[in-house]
Amino acid sequence: MIDCELTFLGFSIYAWITILTVLSIFFVMARTRIPAEVAFLGALTILLVTGVVTEEEGMAGFGSEPVVVHAAFFVIIAGLMQTGVLYWLTKNVLGAPKNYKNALLRLMLPTCVMAALLNSVNVVALFIDAVKIWSRKLNIAPSKLLLPLSYAATLGGMCTLLGNSSNLVVAGLYLHKTGQSLNVFEPLLPGLVLTIVGVMMVMLLQRYIPQRESAEQSFETTSDYTVELLVPTDNPAVGNSVEEAGLYNVKGGSLVEIVRFDREIIMPVPKDEWIIGGDRLIYAGQINEILELKRTHGLAAADHHVWSINDIDTKRRMRTAYVTFGSDLIGRSMTQCDFEQKNNVALIAVARQGRRVEGQPREIHLQAGDTLLLECPPKNDEQLERNNRGSITFFDSHFVPQLGPKTVTSAVILVLMFIVSSFHMLPLMATTMLAAGIMMLLGCCRMTGVTKYIEWELLLILGSTVVFSVAITKTGIADIIALQVLQICGNNPYIIMAVMCLLASLVSEFVSDVGASAVFFPIMYQQAELLGCNPMPFVMLLMLSVTISFASPIGSSTHMLIYGPGSFRFTDFARLGILMHIVLLAIALLIVNLLYPLY
Amino acid sequence: MNTTFKEENKDFVMYFEGRLDTAAAPKVEQDVAPLNDCTGHDIILDCTKLEYISSSGLRIFLAILKNAKPKGSHVYIRGMNDDLRQVFAMTGFTNLFEFK
Repeated sequence: MIDCELTFLGFSIYAWITILTVLSIFFVMARTRIPAEVAFLGALTILLVTGVVTEEEGMAGFGSEPVVVHAAFFVIIAGLMQTGVLYWLTKNVLGAPKNYKNALLRLMLPTCVMAALLNSVNVVALFIDAVKIWSRKLNIAPSKLLLPLSYAATLGGMCTLLGNSSNLVVAGLYLHKTGQSLNVFEPLLPGLVLTIVGVMMVMLLQRYIPQRESAEQSFETTSDYTVELLVPTDNPAVGNSVEEAGLYNVKGGSLVEIVRFDREIIMPVPKDEWIIGGDRLIYAGQINEILELKRTHGLAAADHHVWSINDIDTKRRMRTAYVTFGSDLIGRSMTQCDFEQKNNVALIAVARQGRRVEGQPREIHLQAGDTLLLECPPKNDEQLERNNRGSITFFDSHFVPQLGPKTVTSAVILVLMFIVSSFHMLPLMATTMLAAGIMMLLGCCRMTGVTKYIEWELLLILGSTVVFSVAITKTGIADIIALQVLQICGNNPYIIMAVMCLLASLVSEFVSDVGASAVFFPIMYQQAELLGCNPMPFVMLLMLSVTISFASPIGSSTHMLIYGPGSFRFTDFARLGILMHIVLLAIALLIVNLLYPLY
Repeated sequence: MNTTFKEENKDFVMYFEGRLDTAAAPKVEQDVAPLNDCTGHDIILDCTKLEYISSSGLRIFLAILKNAKPKGSHVYIRGMNDDLRQVFAMTGFTNLFEFK
């Protein structure tokens, strides 16, 4: 512990710095659009600069088990993706159920198993497209299947250390503290019970799963959103820039494209682009208002409409995408950023929660989950997606790999990885690294550019979470809070466990499960030691309680993934989520205490 | 597509030869750079050997005009064939330029 004479309310100055830093992280993540990894690294910087943690302590997290295992796991997932294992699974598990109840079972059971083995976030990301197509086939609103998908993945993820990122973080902190590594299937029994109860709850309470209109349906006909006007030869605007002529941002819409007399296309249109007689100006926005330009600016109606979603010109493509959480586009409009110019696309319309947002598309301040109708170049689909990872996700993003012998090879590697790590033949870190290495050596995953499959943002977050845990222990916060809670709640370990789990799960509803586990781990561990109890039930309960934060899209990474594609509203998750949160927390407390003796 | 720049009787003359299409436009845009500094000179765009002009070519002509006007220079177009004349008429450029 750091010695410091100055104290306030029992906490040293270092402790206060830590508390303020942690609180500001929570605030930043809940209320601003600063990316989580930047917030976490910022906090790490503060703790380093103020001397709360040493350089060695600050950097220790980046080489810790959760970080290395995740990095290796990304490579394994890439291998499974490229060899078609995951594609095969999504194609073959869903089938053709008779009714909604059957569809739920067909979806949730395999999702639970896959999430336990492949991590919940990976499984949801993988299934989103397949489930959306499936929902159309079954004539069920995508939201009615995507929410159960997210629940099933998180529930299934509780069963193994690899299933949810927070499980690995808790296991990593446990290893750091005790030197003992946990078995990959350590949380299996309590996780399984919670999964069964959770799946049953979703089945029984299915009427609380919201029905939301599909986001793409709101853009069924592009012709409703665009209009083409012709510049007559004698129009006074000829020779002027579109802005000078007052033809760039117009009432109700904006100019998204110019088609010249020789079919050359200018898209997106810069403000200083000149108008030439014979130009076809294509506007997006409120059609009735834009048509006023015929009267006010002497434009003529083009003889035929060029665009319709079913008859797309080979030179253009309409694609729908949604704004992802943490996207740099959130809170901004197209006029305030260079997104269109940078990507050579034009925004045609915006839909929010399944309904088109009225007004000029370029002026609309975007929100997370908004669906964008974009006019894109016909080529370089992948490049466009890659450049905008983290900002927007395209609905038609598809990677269809070929099935072959390597499909079997990579599946075998995955199974072996689980066997080796569950029998403790090698530590988890070594096993995952070995599996990733073999994937590459046997050609299941391309070696060149392998690092691009790794989500560095997540690794940065995971790496910096350890430092919170260190700072909270070192500055005595863990001791003081642990003692305070003991004083308030008495020495009954069950009550303390319940209070701490409730707090941890509430915090993780609004922040992230990973952050909450890093903050609560040292406190709960300390309480177990002060009470003279076995720390294992405390650790296990923390692991479970931070992942049952089902009631808000912020706390759950899988909810974030389905938020846009399901056209959900923020409060949709609470309807079933609050009840599941309470019931599962109570069951977790019961089952963990039955399985792990306190003394 | 070739361009030649000459100074004739105090006028800046740019000769265009071939097809000024979208592909040729970026190079031509660089070639006409000497016309930027035209204070005190009129500009003649000689199109006698210009076979075709695309919208990108017209943009270059317009850029020359926009640059020259504030400096008090006139921009004349010389020797257009019928096809070019039609393009100029259709796009309203006949009203923007002076012809020799």
